[in-house]
Amino acid sequence: MFGRKKRLWGEKPPFRSDYDAVIIGGGLHGLATAYFLATRHGMNSIAVIEKRYIGYGGAGRNTAIVRANQRTQENLPLYKEALELWPVLTKELDFNLMFYNCGNLNLAHSEAAMKAMRLQVSSARFQGIDIRLVDRKECKELIPALDISDRPRYPVYGGMFHPAGGIVRHDAVVWGLAKGAAKHGVHIHQGTEVRAICTEKGKIVSVDTDKGKINTPRVLNAAGAYSAAISGHMLGIKLPISVLTIQAMVTQPLKPLLDHVVSSGMYHCYANQTLKGEIATGAHMDPWPNYTNQNSAYYIKHQAEALGDFLPCLRGVKFMRCWAGLADMTPDMAPIMDGNDPVEGYYTDCGWGYFGFKSSTVTGKYMAEFMAKGECPEILKPFTLRRFENHRLMGETAALVNYSPDN
Amino acid sequence: MNRLKNLPTLQIDPEKKISLRYKGKSYEGVQGDTIATLLYANGIRVFARSLKYHRPRGLYSLDGECSNTLMEVDGIPNVRCENTPAREGMNVKAQNVLGSADRDFMAFMDKMSRAMPAGFYYKIFHKPASVWPLVIKRIRKAAGLGKMSPDFDMPGAYDEIYPRADVCVVGGGPAGMCAALAAAEQGLRVILLEARPRLGGSYDYRCTQYHSVSGDRNMPLCQRARELAEQVEAHPCIRVFAHTFLTGVYGGHVLTAFQQGGEADHFTQRYVEIRTESMVAATGCTERPLLFENNEKPGVMQPGCAHRLARTWGLLPGKTAVFSIGHDAGIEAAIDLSDLGMEIPCVADVREDGQDPLLLAELEKRQIPFYRGWAALCAEGGKNLKKVCLSTLNGKHQKNFACDILAAAAGLSPLTGPLTLAGAGLKYDSHSGFFLPEDMPENIHAAGHLLGYEYPPAIESSGTLAGLWAAADCGVSVQNAVREISEEMAALPGPLRGSKFVCGPVSGKKTFICFDEDCTLKNTDQAMAEGFDVPELIKRFTSAGTGPGQGGIPGHNLPLYVALSQASPDSSPRPTTTRSPLTPPYLATYAGSSHDMSKRTPVHDFQAASGGRMERVGVWNRARRFSQNQSPKNKSDDATARREIENVRNNVGMLDASTLGKFRIFGQDALKALQRVYVSDMSRVSEGRMKYSAMCNEDGCVIDDGVVTKCGENDYYLTTSTGRAGMTAEWFRFHSRYEKWDYHIVNLTDAYGVINLAGPSARRVLEKITDADVSHGAFPFSAYREFSVQNVIPVRAMRLGFVGELSYEFHVPSSFMPSLWQILEEAGKEFGIQNFGLEAQSTMRMEKGHVILGSESEQRTTLHDIGLGFLWHRGKPEAKTVGASALAHTEKQKGRLKLVGFKTENPADGVPKDGAPIADDRIRGYVCTCRYSYSLKVTIGMALVEDELAAENTRLGIYTNDGFAGEAMPDSGEYMKYARVVPMPFYDPEGKRMKM
Repeated sequence: MFGRKKRLWGEKPPFRSDYDAVIIGGGLHGLATAYFLATRHGMNSIAVIEKRYIGYGGAGRNTAIVRANQRTQENLPLYKEALELWPVLTKELDFNLMFYNCGNLNLAHSEAAMKAMRLQVSSARFQGIDIRLVDRKECKELIPALDISDRPRYPVYGGMFHPAGGIVRHDAVVWGLAKGAAKHGVHIHQGTEVRAICTEKGKIVSVDTDKGKINTPRVLNAAGAYSAAISGHMLGIKLPISVLTIQAMVTQPLKPLLDHVVSSGMYHCYANQTLKGEIATGAHMDPWPNYTNQNSAYYIKHQAEALGDFLPCLRGVKFMRCWAGLADMTPDMAPIMDGNDPVEGYYTDCGWGYFGFKSSTVTGKYMAEFMAKGECPEILKPFTLRRFENHRLMGETAALVNYSPDN
Repeated sequence: MNRLKNLPTLQIDPEKKISLRYKGKSYEGVQGDTIATLLYANGIRVFARSLKYHRPRGLYSLDGECSNTLMEVDGIPNVRCENTPAREGMNVKAQNVLGSADRDFMAFMDKMSRAMPAGFYYKIFHKPASVWPLVIKRIRKAAGLGKMSPDFDMPGAYDEIYPRADVCVVGGGPAGMCAALAAAEQGLRVILLEARPRLGGSYDYRCTQYHSVSGDRNMPLCQRARELAEQVEAHPCIRVFAHTFLTGVYGGHVLTAFQQGGEADHFTQRYVEIRTESMVAATGCTERPLLFENNEKPGVMQPGCAHRLARTWGLLPGKTAVFSIGHDAGIEAAIDLSDLGMEIPCVADVREDGQDPLLLAELEKRQIPFYRGWAALCAEGGKNLKKVCLSTLNGKHQKNFACDILAAAAGLSPLTGPLTLAGAGLKYDSHSGFFLPEDMPENIHAAGHLLGYEYPPAIESSGTLAGLWAAADCGVSVQNAVREISEEMAALPGPLRGSKFVCGPVSGKKTFICFDEDCTLKNTDQAMAEGFDVPELIKRFTSAGTGPGQGGIPGHNLPLYVALSQASPDSSPRPTTTRSPLTPPYLATYAGSSHDMSKRTPVHDFQAASGGRMERVGVWNRARRFSQNQSPKNKSDDATARREIENVRNNVGMLDASTLGKFRIFGQDALKALQRVYVSDMSRVSEGRMKYSAMCNEDGCVIDDGVVTKCGENDYYLTTSTGRAGMTAEWFRFHSRYEKWDYHIVNLTDAYGVINLAGPSARRVLEKITDADVSHGAFPFSAYREFSVQNVIPVRAMRLGFVGELSYEFHVPSSFMPSLWQILEEAGKEFGIQNFGLEAQSTMRMEKGHVILGSESEQRTTLHDIGLGFLWHRGKPEAKTVGASALAHTEKQKGRLKLVGFKTENPADGVPKDGAPIADDRIRGYVCTCRYSYSLKVTIGMALVEDELAAENTRLGIYTNDGFAGEAMPDSGEYMKYARVVPMPFYDPEGKRMKM
């Protein structure tokens, strides 16, 4: 550590014209898949193609919350395993991913919300996940800054507390995975743009980039917000994805104030205190599809109103930085993980919306298995693209989503 | 400390004393002081300790570039004392210290810097894993600056305003004022924002002579500032917001800012959101920090800071000041401070040439030695500055100077924040050494000092020109004026060549590129060595520029330094991203008056007075239930609403259903539109009749249900569920967007109120209030009638049976709702009429097997899944009905969740909660609604279960462990309760009661 510094993910790799697999997108899902392909399946001729720099997109723009309190039994095991992976990967990568297992408290502001939480809580408990319903008093004990009086616009009724969740340093995961992948021979090509994906007789044969052509039998589309455009324009496979801007912000750093992640669906707001002491907060998406990373004026104001209402002491804290990222939303708010259909050798891992961070490592693990063996692992089967043409939505969201007029 | 007196530039009133408390003592200052200048006047030099190393930090800038003067004031952490006005009685505390700012027991951390290279935390603390949770605790305690008490209550009044302008000028210096005047002269509405308490910018504290181009106006710059300010303030078209900080520039030309209130203002701070046609950024420059060892020690400050302290607040920053600068304003400051009484041992300039010869002559006149191509290499001393080592740029020759102030800057840095937020891409300009916009977005302009102009008339002309361009954006013809000014400018000196120097040959160990994060040059080198090769990644890895001052200190130097270090031909400096808010505002300020926008029905108050427990349901406030006693101590509050249910079942009750979506759709193609979005055949509804139907989305999932009434030819009245009302009109329009249909849809949701009268005595109540024939024969079940109540109130009445009793829905204009409500209450008295709320309604409709969308359905639930498939009219062409093809596709699909009714096996098990999963070895569905039925004396419910479990008499296991400490839960693992699938409706299956 104190000695001469080595480049974390090695020297710039040579650009080869043949790889066993090409991964489009140097975000967390792409890097994790590359890492698991190299370490678990002995594939070390892998290229990760990143248009900008690794971690530019959602990987570097999320608010780093991890949890396993999803709604459906198809999703729960995946997120549960993801939580269990953080300590494992920290050790394996020899890079501190800074998993801060502080637990997540979701607030309920009505009896109806408590009921909705009961489904989540008992479904998760049924699968062995550490989570429970709590009453309003316990909410206050967990978050002393919380106003549990009747003064707020939406008084707190209770909530669900999920001790197994927490936060992870998102940049560390990017860099750790890049380091691990590079160590096992993965070539990370930053500043490289994919121009075309070429097929012959229904099979992937190559990928064209601005640095040259790569022959490969396998391509993974893990381009996040840009995945639908790549899939649609380069292969004619339309994905039911709407891309929306999602914003987040941090306050100036404070001494410890929030010991847990606290969130409220009613206020469209969550907050957690990073290890640096900033209160990171965010939540809802802009209600119109777009591909920009621009902030909007109303959003930071909304966030101040919401936080100031249920965590009133934060009214005396300042917002310091606001940023935006893109969320690739599917109609049922569950991802699309698929492969070899309809093009052999073409794999898809996208549509994660705002769940992409917490799921990244476990998804990489199973997508790697999928790509190495050519057989879809059982746990990924429900996430097929065909569910949409069969009108079989996943039910990850209870309510109707309404972010674009065409769904 | 004695204040300088009689300076024309002073902004203090020495007669008005104010005092504040710090470290248990009272300190006195004067009106006009900021907290920091007040403390400085009292000899305080150390204001804070740094984040990581607990190094002492003093006054460095006066405009909030760094966190050196962040303190706790009246319980509010991280107050930027350098530009926060001092107020009588304030209580000020140092933060992030163990002890005091002067004597911080954590100061030993400074010696530990070797153990904390860039990103060290990524590489240790996880071995062994058991250490990490302990380390987290230490890190959290050590990190963060200010302390916030969890029960802190932010004092003050916060307001918000939303002004509209043709031209918004950001920056009230000479360029900004000229821009504002130029645009206002064209008759445009102009808003001028200035961050400091008054207009004037860089003129405001300077006494250098100003000569206008024409030569007829000669006066000190500070006087010229007042002259311009008076013109601006007197101009009827200009609205000045002084002491107002720009926070963001957004799409659609929205600018946000916040204003600091003065003593006489009604607000402490207010949020200002401006919509403008055109924007001029005239934000000027700040001084780019010079990097050398201990470059942030107390006593080291920006030359402008030293200058303004003396000129604006009458405070000489110290006795002896060494200047190490790279710009003419630095020389000017040295001359002026010398004249005001400071000893200036020397001025070192990183530039070999290019200085204003007049300034050099002034230096010579005062016998101040001037060193070309020299810069500070190291500042020394304990907590306070003792001496400075200056050297040539290559470090070969060095000289030491004793001093207590080092005014240091490497040059200037333009404040381009508003431009980058507006979408301008920045490019390194090698002449000025600035990052300047290369592709200016439409209707965005820049002017003045920030473009590199330093000669006053050039600054002013560039402002005038920008103001004219902005006027042109608003459609004013300004060609002649633009030509005139452009010619004038061509004759004036253009942008000056700027210094690009960052640092001399320093070890970098204590050379801070970012003060807030204690990030040194060495840390930056370490990051680059580890492969972080772009400034944006270095920023993330070292956290430089992520502290309270954001990019204020490192924003310009980091990219320059990285480019210098990489020294490759294509490594033109690339700036890091500037993000909003440009100045951090309190959440209280952003929240402003924090409107709570929710809707109340016309009879809200009646219900609340009758003991209604009002709750927010979507945008509405609704009565959940009516209880006699709402005291939390009194447990008689019955959550099951038994009394309300029994009263409806036995007598009569009334419910406010005004939140239902209500629409009129009319026009010759109205029926076509209905046919498109409803699954039923709406052509079969005859005049005066109505039909219950549903809308599906393209997946066949049910999104809305309601009643459509045909009021006349091509004229329909329809209801939607409460939650869907806001989207209904859009849904119709979207699904007929390619048709040229002639129809109109009007949202009457708020225009009409609805009262549901239900119970066996309902007709007898109704008969009392209307002359119309409402007998069963004249007004049968499922019929629609229009009549008047008491010959005045026009009522649209529907005979429906949602709760399973004889029941009417009265739709009346909202203005009549209170009257009708009172009339019904009065008429129903003899029959025992009472209010009922949502809880009672929900239980009763469940007993009838009626669904509430969202409760018995979720996003993926189709019409078939909840047993409403019969509503779908197969005879309609599929392509013409939204969702029809999906309904055909999914009708026989296996593995879907189906809605079933169930009855629990063992009443002693209690009532399973809504949301409990139905499970065997895996989850097979869940309980939607489950209640004890007082009417039937059994526990019944509705659940969505996998189709395999939907057959009658199937045994369902309900998993009831939600870990809720507030409820009695057996610990023995006995979490499964059982129920049987039974047919619905549970209550009055033949429907006799609602048809009586």
